[in-house]
Amino acid sequence: MEKKIETYDVVIIGGGAAGLTSAIYCGRARLKTLVIEKALVGGLATYTNEIENYPGFPEGATGLGLMELFHKQAKKFGVKFKLTDVRGVQLEGDDKVVETFRTDYHCKSVIIASGGKPRLTNAPNEDKFLYDKGISFCATCDAAANTDKTVIVIGSGDAAIEEGMFLTKFASKVIVSVMHEEGKMDCNEIAKEEALANPKMEFIWNTTVAEFRGDDERLRSVALKDTRTGEIIDVPVDTCFMFIGYVPNTEIFKGVVDMTRAGYVITNEKMETNIPGVFSAGDVRDKFLKQVATAVGDGAIAGYAAEKYIAESEIFENQIMDKSMPGIVYIWNAVVQESRDLLPEIETFEEKHKGQIKVNKVDVYKSNGIAQRLGIDTVPAVAAIKDGKVVGTLTEGISAESLEKLLGM
Amino acid sequence: MAEFTVDCLGEACPVPLMKVQKQMEKMAVGDVLIAQIDHSCAMKNIPEWARNNGHNVEIEEVDDGEWEIVIEKTK
Repeated sequence: MEKKIETYDVVIIGGGAAGLTSAIYCGRARLKTLVIEKALVGGLATYTNEIENYPGFPEGATGLGLMELFHKQAKKFGVKFKLTDVRGVQLEGDDKVVETFRTDYHCKSVIIASGGKPRLTNAPNEDKFLYDKGISFCATCDAAANTDKTVIVIGSGDAAIEEGMFLTKFASKVIVSVMHEEGKMDCNEIAKEEALANPKMEFIWNTTVAEFRGDDERLRSVALKDTRTGEIIDVPVDTCFMFIGYVPNTEIFKGVVDMTRAGYVITNEKMETNIPGVFSAGDVRDKFLKQVATAVGDGAIAGYAAEKYIAESEIFENQIMDKSMPGIVYIWNAVVQESRDLLPEIETFEEKHKGQIKVNKVDVYKSNGIAQRLGIDTVPAVAAIKDGKVVGTLTEGISAESLEKLLGM
Repeated sequence: MAEFTVDCLGEACPVPLMKVQKQMEKMAVGDVLIAQIDHSCAMKNIPEWARNNGHNVEIEEVDDGEWEIVIEKTK
């Protein structure tokens, strides 16, 4: 099968809260924007039945409902969606490529918003029962199939307890395995109180999963290990719901994008990764709090940063590196006195060589992107350009004379 | 390379996934299966299951809340 080739300004990998917000910003900036999502648009939030802490929805919202609104808003700005998984990326250079199994998408900027995937316990036989065989990561998906049945929830964080309570509406009994001592849970206090008072919920404290047990068809029981005594407790269940956190979806970026040891993408406050034009947003990023509300903030910054990066690339190629005429670029900072003092000197030079030398002035107070591309990190500074190449830079003794010398006049 | 379709419209999880699994067993390598679904949770477990088994997956949104999951059997 021959691969198709398509061209975009921005390709966003991942259609969760962060990716969709980036898409809204890019789409609104009239960039040709594509979101690639491997399953359902909305990402992790769609696995949650209730979102109570996203501002603007005092009555709460369902994860799916909230994400549908994000999706609708991105579509309004002309963003395109492709529902498939990304197989590989080539992120270095100006022409970046995002590959799916059928198409190569070429673009100027990439936003990595690939989020996370559920963490596994790595207990024996886990892989045998994943998804449809008895181990589920989605209460919204599989609650109805467990009507009047017994289920176990592994974990005690917000997701585990809130989804566990949702499950009590269907299942006759929800057993929760908590690794901490009695009464200690990782979730918020409100959820904890409600859960402890829920008659359908039963807690087994100080336990972790020792083994998953079942036959060829499906899971039959979960063997829990008491962390104090080492005793094995066999708990017969119909389905095991696992909520023990997430691991980042970053395999395809390994060795290319800088990440933490745990695999989270490292960015600065502008959501820039170590590669120019590649940004990252949301749960996949190394950060303090992973929530829809923080993913939205990341997404807005990444979308805006991508737009600025693309605009700067165009200015850099068409104006700064203009091949038709030799030129100088004055890198200055409008809030620094020394930078302002040199401005008349530069303007005199510009006037003197009008029509022969192109003079560009770049104020780093607004953005230092162009200075970075020229390899300049101090102000004031000057770069001389000939035939689309930097032929020299100057950070001291900037004068009309030294500029002429720099250009070999 | 044959193409097959399973109609899962109106069906809730885990029925769509089970139907897909049954049909995939009968197919040869290179065959393509199109599962028509309108239950959003099937958008999670069907692609997850198919990719876990190494198959190629692409999804088309044919209408608001209605999708076609295209699975190419690879082994």
